Amino acid sequence: MSDLTPLRDLLDHHVVGHDEVKTALLLALITREHIYVEGPPGTAKTRLAEVAAKGSELDFFFYQLHRDTRLAELVGDIVLERRKVKTDGAAPGTAGEAERIHQRIEPGGLLTAEVAVLDDISRAPGEALNVLLRILNERRFGAEPIPLMAAIATGNPMDDEYYNEPLDPANLDRFALQLRVSGLIQSGVDEAKTLIDRFASGSVVEQPDPEPVTDRATLDALNRRMYQVKVGAAVRAALLDVLRTLVLEFECNETNSLLTDRTFLVKAIKILRGAALLAGRDAVDLPDLAALSWMTTFRVPPEAHEALPRIIGRVSRQVRAV
Amino acid sequence: MTLPAPDRRTAELAAAFVELRTALGRVLVGQDDAATGLTLALLAEQHAYLEGPPGCGKSELAAALAALSGARTHTLVFHRDIRETDLLGDVLLSRHRHRGHERLRRELIPGPLLQAEVALLEDLPRSPGEALGPLLRILAERQALGQTLPLESAVATGPLEQVEAPIDPLEPGQLDRFAVQLRLAGLLTGGLFDEAAVLLEREAARQQARGAVPSGTFTTPDAAPSPAVMSAATRNAAQRAAAALQVEPRTLDAYHRLLDRLRQRTADESASGDRLMSDRSFSSAALRLVRAHAFLRGAPAAAPRDLGAIRYMVAHRLPEEVQEDFDHILEELLGDPPNVTMTETGAQMPGAQSQGDDSDGAAASSPASDSWIDDQADLPAPPSLFGQPPPPAQVDPLLRALVGRIERGRIDPDTDPGGQPRGYRPLRDLDELIDADLIEALLFAEGRLPGAPRTFERKRKSAGGAVAVLRDISASMAGRLTVWSSQVVLGILRVAARRRMRVGYVEFHHRALPHQVGGRLLHRSYSRLAEQAGQAKAVGQTNYEAPLRTALEGLRGGSGRNRHIVLLTDGLPIIGDTSVRRERQLARRLGVALHTVFLGNGDCPPVLDDISLETGGLRFCGRPLPGGGLRLEER
Repeated sequence: MSDLTPLRDLLDHHVVGHDEVKTALLLALITREHIYVEGPPGTAKTRLAEVAAKGSELDFFFYQLHRDTRLAELVGDIVLERRKVKTDGAAPGTAGEAERIHQRIEPGGLLTAEVAVLDDISRAPGEALNVLLRILNERRFGAEPIPLMAAIATGNPMDDEYYNEPLDPANLDRFALQLRVSGLIQSGVDEAKTLIDRFASGSVVEQPDPEPVTDRATLDALNRRMYQVKVGAAVRAALLDVLRTLVLEFECNETNSLLTDRTFLVKAIKILRGAALLAGRDAVDLPDLAALSWMTTFRVPPEAHEALPRIIGRVSRQVRAV
Repeated sequence: MTLPAPDRRTAELAAAFVELRTALGRVLVGQDDAATGLTLALLAEQHAYLEGPPGCGKSELAAALAALSGARTHTLVFHRDIRETDLLGDVLLSRHRHRGHERLRRELIPGPLLQAEVALLEDLPRSPGEALGPLLRILAERQALGQTLPLESAVATGPLEQVEAPIDPLEPGQLDRFAVQLRLAGLLTGGLFDEAAVLLEREAARQQARGAVPSGTFTTPDAAPSPAVMSAATRNAAQRAAAALQVEPRTLDAYHRLLDRLRQRTADESASGDRLMSDRSFSSAALRLVRAHAFLRGAPAAAPRDLGAIRYMVAHRLPEEVQEDFDHILEELLGDPPNVTMTETGAQMPGAQSQGDDSDGAAASSPASDSWIDDQADLPAPPSLFGQPPPPAQVDPLLRALVGRIERGRIDPDTDPGGQPRGYRPLRDLDELIDADLIEALLFAEGRLPGAPRTFERKRKSAGGAVAVLRDISASMAGRLTVWSSQVVLGILRVAARRRMRVGYVEFHHRALPHQVGGRLLHRSYSRLAEQAGQAKAVGQTNYEAPLRTALEGLRGGSGRNRHIVLLTDGLPIIGDTSVRRERQLARRLGVALHTVFLGNGDCPPVLDDISLETGGLRFCGRPLPGGGLRLEER
């Protein structure tokens, strides 16, 4: 049981299937971590992000990135401030007026939003994204803290058909949660039928605007409760064992993986706490480790990511046995 | 016994920096070397460059140095679009009426970076060369806009050099501006699991504590800034005292011998990594650090053991093997009797000398030693199937021509609206105002600027490009031709590694056998492919269609214009579409150059000429010579 049940219901109401993405979105809102969802076009990525953002009654910033994206479009307008100053007339014949011109940014967009949806992030040039992603990471712009709780980014697969450049791995690391979605119809899951049936009657409006079902106060309270979830020594040991297995058995290293300390030793604890809270627990338990696979999607080689549930199972058994 | 007053003061100053070092050491778990290196940098007033994988705490450590030292600080995050005003300061625009006409003068007023005592330069390598050049000069001269800067240390951070990163790494010459160079390792990827466990426990507790505090309106960053452990007066007094410290003659003596040994070890060509022992760094900066090391120790003068401070300088100045050995080299040297005559540089060190000889000999006899290729890729030598390697130079013409072709794509960056600003051009379209020089745009809008404001000329280098090698391994390629084609493949791999091009390798007979890594044809696992290329066995019959199709599928959609396929074969295609019409069409559409290399005595199949001519590729032909060599020339 959690206070986010209404939001989950809203997501279910608007989008069929994609159970994992929905849970991960809630997790992102509770833990205030950023989330990246990758999938082919038309798999409800943007829709899910939008419903989650609007349904939580937060200040919402939507931006469609493109290959010419510049910083100013994301953070607000560049403003030139002009101030008259006196000159000393040091150079001959220079006594006159002068003005000092200061360039600054009038905060807007990402800097004033609580939830940001960054659509098609893989289309923006990697190098240009650097500042944006640093803002996401530090949650401040210059010296000023920003109210952003979570950024939800979507992207297309870095496959051949989609003409985009791969994201800089360091940039991808700013998104603690990372998921891959595939289309329901393409993958032929049961929900595909539900999806088609839904539109069969013709009475469904395709993109109804979601009503807010939760608010900032609820999310703040959940965030505090998340921090109070206990993380015992057994869970910490299990987490470390999973990571050790990735490094030693699956040879994850700096060249093939993003097994960074920030993500897996700092943020992972938060994610586990959030997962426990969503499952209605006040202490992290071994099954919550499953949430780790929402962190490894693009951070470790595919074979290691696929093996993760197995690794977690094995480690959990060992930890229980001790 | 009480110390005399001046000594007591010195001891206090040293204690302040020891406290800084201790506090810095507590910021991160298991990064003690970096904490010491940064402390020494500030004490010696040298600049420092911190590199490491993402998320290992580089920025946190640099910020902590600034906070703990109580220095006036400014953080600048480098990015593609950083402008002069971000680096230097505001623009002062003065107007003067002079005999009926108006004169405009534009000056810069020093901004916060120029007023900082500790400057934090985040992600420095992401800056385009245009901003980097002036900045590095400012750092070196500690002067800008005609003023001497209060700058004590600039601490820059950057990513580990990685093949996949979209940014060009800084060159050793640029990095040389940073006397202290520190490389941080991640705890997880570095295998430091005990430290990782400590960090996990600490973080779990820290988060728990946060939960007890009601969160404000804004989400605050996780770490609170650390309070200063010293005053500005103490910091500056310590810096002065450290700089004035005597260096014992035996320390200088040992330093000369250390430099000799480092030179010898560095001269070994087989060692990989940067090598740059500049006068700038190894004279004044090095001795400042040695003095700082002694000062931190509370020593009255710099002793030979203080040469240990040099270890914090070497990350981009010495080859990796020498870096790893540094402590050992120093230890050995300090154990030596100090009365060895120093007249000759290293001639009396037999061990090091013979090592140099070995490497020379190896280089001369190795078939892989293409002197014109600056080989950084550590590829294994080409395989030898006949006990001794075949004569080397023969693949050179092909490689040279290919390199020329590849370079052409690399050197000329193409105009691209998303690229890096590389110079200015006149404004062509009002839409471009967003990218124009803001001051000129302002004057333009006011009608004061004759002509249009200048705007960034944005260019993008093709990101390394890609080359796919298609190698015929049909039965007719057995024997010597296998060795030759292995050499060609290895040569191409070496060129690709140096240019950071993605590579694909497809062996083919009647079927295409692509060697994929991580499910992708194109990747940068050069050494894995090199190994593979050495193991090829000749079987089956020839089919051009399948490998070309595979390679083109792999190259499709990738960015950049610099894409090549090299087809190595000895025979006519027998299987599949022998005219490969569709593939030629696709290659033209994708802008992929198909280079063909025909090996053997027979007639070159005309289809190879068609393939090359249509796609702008090169054509080569290799004929075995009676003496066992192979003559490779353009067809």
